[in-house]
Order: sequence, then structure tokens, then C-alpha cells
Amino acid sequence: MTDTIRELQEIARLIRIDVVTMIHKAGDGHPGAALSATDLIAALYFHVMKVDPAHPQWRDRDRFILSKGHACPALYAALARKGYFPHDDLVGLRSLGSHLQGHPDMNKTPGIDSTSGSLGNGISVGLGMVLAGRITGCDYFSYVVTGDGEIEEGVVWEAAMAAKKYQAGRLVVIVDNNGIQSSGPVEEVGGLNPILPKWEAFGWHCQEIDGHDFNQILHAIGNAKANVEQPSLILAHTIKGQGVPFMVGDNSWHKRVPTRQEYEEAMRALGGACL
Amino acid sequence: MTQLGNTRIAFIEALTDIAERDPHAVLVCADSVLVVKGKSFARKYPDRFVDVGIAEQNAVACAAGMATCGLVPFVATYAGFITMRACEQVRTFVAYPGLNVKLVGANGGISAGEREGVTHQFFEDLGIVRTIPGITVVVPADESQVRQATRAIHETDGPAYMRIGSGRDPVVDCDDVPFELGKVRVLAAYGDDVVLFTNGFVVNHTLQAARVLKQEGIRATVVDVHTLKPLDKGSIVPLLGKSRAGVTVEDHNIVGGLGSAIAELSAEECPSYVVRIGLRDIYPRSGEPEALLEYYHMGVADIVDAAKSVMQKRDRVSGRS
Repeated sequence: MTDTIRELQEIARLIRIDVVTMIHKAGDGHPGAALSATDLIAALYFHVMKVDPAHPQWRDRDRFILSKGHACPALYAALARKGYFPHDDLVGLRSLGSHLQGHPDMNKTPGIDSTSGSLGNGISVGLGMVLAGRITGCDYFSYVVTGDGEIEEGVVWEAAMAAKKYQAGRLVVIVDNNGIQSSGPVEEVGGLNPILPKWEAFGWHCQEIDGHDFNQILHAIGNAKANVEQPSLILAHTIKGQGVPFMVGDNSWHKRVPTRQEYEEAMRALGGACL
Repeated sequence: MTQLGNTRIAFIEALTDIAERDPHAVLVCADSVLVVKGKSFARKYPDRFVDVGIAEQNAVACAAGMATCGLVPFVATYAGFITMRACEQVRTFVAYPGLNVKLVGANGGISAGEREGVTHQFFEDLGIVRTIPGITVVVPADESQVRQATRAIHETDGPAYMRIGSGRDPVVDCDDVPFELGKVRVLAAYGDDVVLFTNGFVVNHTLQAARVLKQEGIRATVVDVHTLKPLDKGSIVPLLGKSRAGVTVEDHNIVGGLGSAIAELSAEECPSYVVRIGLRDIYPRSGEPEALLEYYHMGVADIVDAAKSVMQKRDRVSGRS
């Protein structure tokens, strides 16, 4: 295992500690979805993306859109640990006066490139950013993490079609395929599967990985970046609640707040200290 | 005979002029390039023309993404497909973040519906966008006003929605009072018996009604409220205050648009009788524009009758008090 992978694993562990702590303190939030996306977000912010926390509006930065905005505790924790704002701000999540809204707000939180939370729209926004880069002469990438359930939205496929038309090779979409949406398994609720052939049919460069294996995540993103002729789709198999054993396999953690006892149990599993 | 202009061509010509000066100006279409006469723009600026196909939600959200990177996208297609099909993208991804996206809706009103019927007659667009915080709403009266309004919304940072018509749009029959975003235009001032607030493609009807009223000894003032949001309260309240009553005339449902805006303002700031002329909360039919307006009680005679009746109502109440 390389130092890079070990470092990313450690960052992801710290982000997971932050996620559970934030939701416990806030008394509200979506822990399952944040924990499934954590490794993807950690890889992007701490290895892949060209960003400068001192200059969040830097014109040439890579863009990130958390289309599944309800997973934002993981994004907020990553941004804080990256240095966009003080780590102490995290406990303000969802409280009046905090810049950390229930879903990402690009005007309130430093480092957020797009407002999100209404599902299905992130790929369109990311495509717009890529097209803008062509016009303004910037060569950044737009990375979008979307849920699997949210690709049931029709606008996702509008964006998939247009991204192919415009050969938006600098658009990289990662599907956090944890397999479960609010009211149940994605296959039962929306009839979504199979996912990958749909994107292949739309003309995207497609890959399938374990979304908790940093080697696979980095390798797939590298492949995606190398293919500048096609938009890229990475289907990342993930586990809802990853890292907190009692949340895994229990979809009540889609939106649920850990009690003090559960919080302490989660911290023991993650090797974190309780606040 | 009313002279017809083309607000669609006026828009695209104004945008083309803007694009010459502003390298960030972009035209975004949803298979609507022919609708908004955008071929010339696309030929001149192929790199700044985006067509996502029949996919308005993607068009609006994509434009939002562009605007986060400093571009000024003008999304142009049919009014209802922007304000209804892509309503949430307008609200959450354009207006809420305050992005510099300009939304241009064709076929605003029933008279601009190209005889296509309800699917292409949009009489709810203004009510919908008016409830969304942070978005400028403009209803130009004719092609000249569209040119000026296009420049104005480009010069004003932030989200905006502007109506255009069918391409056979009446030219307003009076001196061309300059357009200033956020300020009403007084187009005729015969007196203060009644004030007629209007906008869009029925301004001529309102002016004609004012002339008829004048012949009958009733002196009206005609006010073009082209900027529906933000409303020029500072001008409207005194105009309403010094008149005996008000009438609103719009090619829109009487719910949610100009009539609602004036009635709300009146109720809070200057209680007056206000009668609303517009589509009476029903679905219209296909038809020739002028015939449609008369059929749905939005013609000159209806405006004249409304002015008289609202004045009588006010006089009756005044007499009792």
C-alpha cells in the first residue's frame, strides 16, 4: 500500500468522524449517504483536484458538484480539513447563523462550486461549467458525485445526451452506487438497474469500481481524465453507512440522528473521540 | 391598422450586438433556435451558441453552470417551457444563487400563442416567476422595447426573465418613451379620472381605450409597468393615489401577474378599487390574436367598460360614506 493510499484512508476516517459528529450535534442529517460518498470526496479533494483553499474562486480551479447534496456533511468536513474554513464551524451544521446549510449553498460556504440538493441537476451544472471552460479558455475538469437513486430524474438523461453531443471529456461523473434510496433499494423503487449499459448507450466512457478502494478510485479518475473525447462515468459500488457497522444494511440511517449511545459506538468503530 | 413588429428578431439582434462587446454573452437554446430567430447568432458566434435539444431543464441548469464561471447565458425558448417545465431549475439553480442567467420566454400571453392552442399560449409565466425571490421580471411592449430591455437586463447583474412574443407583435402606437429597467413609463396622461396600468402586447389596446374614454369625457392616464419585478412602487402609489380608480390590462391570467401586483400594492399602500383585465383564470382556445382578446374580454371595449364600472363603484361607495 502506498503512502498516498494510507493518507487518503486516514483523511477519510477523519471525515467520517466529522460526519457522524456533525449530524449528532445538529440533530438532523443524512449519515448513510454521506458515509457512502466519503471516500470519493476524499480522493477528489486530497489527491485529484486542482484547487486552492486560499482562493476558492480561482478561475482555473477544478470544479466539484455534490449533486446528491444531502451528503454534504462529508463535503463540509473535507472542505474544512482542506482549509477552506475553520474546522470548528462544522458543528454549526443546519443551525441558524451557520454558513453550513442543510444542503450546499455556493454563496454561503467557501469552496462550494454549485448550490445543490434538488436531485438530478448536478450533471447539467457540471456540463455548463465544462462548456464555459471552452469559451473562457480554461482547461479545468468538472467532477460530479451523484447518487444512484437520483439518476432516476429525467434531467440526468438530458444532460447525458448533451454531454455526449458536446464531447465533454472534461466532465467526470461518479455515481455513488450504494444501491439504496430514501424508500428502499434502487431497483425496487425506480427499476434503475442495470446502470452502466444506459450510460454506455448514451456514448459515455464508462468504468465500474469499488468506491471504497482508493487504488481503484484514483486509477479510474486517471483513465477518465485521459479520455478527453468523451464524458466519463464511473460507477462506484459503495456501502451506505460505510465505516459505522450498525448503520450498514439499515436504511433507517438514510436520514436519522445517532443517539448519544449510538454516537459513542460510532466513534469507537471509527477510532474517534466524542465531542 | 396596427403595425406589426417582431420581438423575436429584436431580441436576437440586440443579443448579437451585446455579444460583439461582451465575449461572455452566450445563447442557449432547447431546439428553439428557429423560434427565437437565432440562426444568425449561431453562425456569427458558433462557439457561444449552445443547443441542448428539447431539454429545457438541462438548458437552464447548464446555463447556471456557465454563469458560475462568469458567462452571461441567455436561455431562449417558449415561455412556458422555461417557467413551468424548468421552473425548479430557474428557482434553485439560477435565482437562489443569484446567477447571471437571462431567461427569454417566447409566446408570452394568449395573443402571442401563434394559434397553437393552450400548449403554446403562456399566461401563467409571469405569476410563476414573480413568486421566485431575486429575479427581475420584464414584460416589454413591442420590438423597440425588447431591444432596450435586452440591453438593460444584460447590463444589470443577476437573474432576469423577459417575455417576447410570436414574431407578429403590435408596435406601440405612441411616442417611444425610453425604457428604463425598474421604472414605469407614462404613455398617455389625459387626466386623473382613472389610471390604466398595462404591459406587454396589449399596451395598444389600453392606449386606444384611453382615447375612447377621453372622447366620452373620462380622462385616463396610461402607465406601462414593463418591469413587473422589482415593482416601481414609488411611481405607482402616487399615480394610483391621485386617480379615482385603477384598471390593470395584461395578456396573462388575472391571477399572479400585473393585476395581482397592483392589487397587492394598492391594498397595502393606497386602497383603491382596481379592476383586472386579463384571462379570467380559464384555459383559452386557438384563434387569431385580436379575436382571442375580444373573446376573452380583453379588448378595447372591455377596458373602456372596466374603467367606467370601477369609477362608478368608487363613486357609489364615496357617495354612501
